[in-house]
Amino acid sequence: MSRIASNLHLGRALLAGAAIAVFSLAIASQANAAAACIKGDRKAPFTVGWANIYSVPTWMKQTEGTITDEVATLKKAGLVKDLMITDAQGNAQTQIQQIQSMIDANLDAIIVEAGSSTALNRVIADACTKGIAVINFDSLVDTDKLTAKINTDSNEWGSRAATWLVDQLHGKGKIVIMNGPAGVSVSDDRRKGAQPVLAANPGIEVITETNTEYNVAPAQEAMTSLLFAHPDIDGVLSLGGALSAGSVMAFDRQGRAQVPTTGENARQFLELWKAKKLKGWATMQPNWLGALSVYTAVKALQGQDVPAFIKVPLPVIDDSTIDGYLAKAKDFPADGYIYSSYDQALFDKLLAQH
Amino acid sequence: MTPSASPSGSLYFAIQRRRNRGLGGLYLVVAAFLVVYGVLFPGLLSVGGFSKFSQNWFPLALVTMAQALLMLNGGISLAIGPLVSLGGVVAAITMGGPAGAFGGLLAVVVAGLVIGALTGLIVAYMRLPAIIVTLAGSFIITGVALLLLPRPGGSIPDWLSQALAGQQPTAFALLVLVLCAWKLFLATPLGIGVYAVGDNPVGAFRSGVPVERVRVVSFAVSGLLAALAGLFVAAQTGSGDPVIGTSFTLNSIAGAVLGGVGFLGGKGTMRGAIAGSLLLSVMINVMFFLGFPPVAQYVAQGVIIVGAVAIPEFAGRWRKA
Repeated sequence: MSRIASNLHLGRALLAGAAIAVFSLAIASQANAAAACIKGDRKAPFTVGWANIYSVPTWMKQTEGTITDEVATLKKAGLVKDLMITDAQGNAQTQIQQIQSMIDANLDAIIVEAGSSTALNRVIADACTKGIAVINFDSLVDTDKLTAKINTDSNEWGSRAATWLVDQLHGKGKIVIMNGPAGVSVSDDRRKGAQPVLAANPGIEVITETNTEYNVAPAQEAMTSLLFAHPDIDGVLSLGGALSAGSVMAFDRQGRAQVPTTGENARQFLELWKAKKLKGWATMQPNWLGALSVYTAVKALQGQDVPAFIKVPLPVIDDSTIDGYLAKAKDFPADGYIYSSYDQALFDKLLAQH
Repeated sequence: MTPSASPSGSLYFAIQRRRNRGLGGLYLVVAAFLVVYGVLFPGLLSVGGFSKFSQNWFPLALVTMAQALLMLNGGISLAIGPLVSLGGVVAAITMGGPAGAFGGLLAVVVAGLVIGALTGLIVAYMRLPAIIVTLAGSFIITGVALLLLPRPGGSIPDWLSQALAGQQPTAFALLVLVLCAWKLFLATPLGIGVYAVGDNPVGAFRSGVPVERVRVVSFAVSGLLAALAGLFVAAQTGSGDPVIGTSFTLNSIAGAVLGGVGFLGGKGTMRGAIAGSLLLSVMINVMFFLGFPPVAQYVAQGVIIVGAVAIPEFAGRWRKA
């Protein structure tokens, strides 16, 4: 800009050039400060849409609960006007249509729980172009043309669960690995994360692995038949909440002594963990990722720069903290997940990371 | 007008009137929904708004036609959804490569026609129930799609995405073209055979209709339509997803039945099926703009579908009484 300006000899032109330079600098600095997609033309109170792929599972219902709670809080603060929720009933093409409707309705923010890692790319990019804050959490999309993605690290989940189990067994013993369905990315990623830890501890022998739906009944069935075949199982590396509950129940039904078991924050598992006095460890995919998404969208719309990827550290439940979780169990559905507590301070801290 | 003045004309319109009978109720419901949608979202009347809406409807319209075509001659397919997925996958893995967009299109067309024809051959000549053959076929096709593309990926050239699913109503124009092609097809002996075979296979056979060949052609064309719907979805999303089509199977049946196409063959029209698919599609947008919460959407959807089928039925009885 300065080189062009020096080539201008007329004073007036120079002045005009300087004015343009200052103006464009101002725009540039504004663009740098704002988060992706945000143009700064949308004013509070904002309208928020949540495009969910499937609302029926308990985890989704609880997540929706954190979203509506957060919206209620933000409404009181005069920052949010309205929340619209859609359920694509598992159909990614319907989800495209619903996000398109959110764009048509000119919502200010769209929160996406994606039904396909690729199918939504174009419609999300369209929303971003229109200056809509797009936040994607839990089940992520491929495109980067959005405001922010929010998730925990599935690899870390697997590696930390495996590390705990190896420590419990002092690096020696026979274990069973329980996975979610094959070909599902969350399940694959957790398993991949566990692999380096297992490889580094040759004293740990993996007897076998199971792949079932993330439900109690199939997991219990799988573990029951394994218990008949293997009299000596020293630990269970379960990579999903309901799977652990099924495993503990299978051990219990056969009168076998419980072994160290990893798992997720499913209420059923946590209660069995305490009742059967087993050595346990659990982490979670916090339901409040939903609430955090709404909060992030509003912050971005207000002009705050937010990270393009917000990595949420995995909250851990172990023998020292489980009582705190069980104390609030009655506030959660019997087949639900007892998630760690959250507040605005936590959200601000997560948004401050870069 | 005397019959001799314009015999073909009056007969033609008389037949069309009879074929529209029973669909009046559905047309009214669809029109009402479109009006409500237009009021709630005036942008629908802009080129961009109409384009985006018709793009989201187009693949469902295609698969509903694919399903209706089979149901008209007494068949059915549970492999429509997987074929959509496969069409998208084939497009996404070929178009980015040396084959280019045209090669990819050719690959999708061949895949759809061949798979459809094979299914048709098994159903027609081995005399196995279509529902079982296509159920088995759906597993095989899903497996093949997952083998070709284990995780969502691949790519569609951006210009093709823009051309098919950009800001112009290309999708709607294509739908009109497909409907014209269907009209032309109905004017051929094979086309007439589709209805004849569904209505009365034995009678059709005695009248010289090549019953087996009609069935095979129906399955082939149906496969082609489903695979092309997959190509469109891939263009719309910019990539392939091996399971994206799954819910199209049930929705294609719902659209066809809503449109008055019977399960037993020979009953129904393509225009009815198209209207049925339009209702399924516009319903989603109307419920959004009315601000229905998800739970209410499940209920409303069921009520609308039952209502759209029941109203014409009762209207028909009332007319007879």
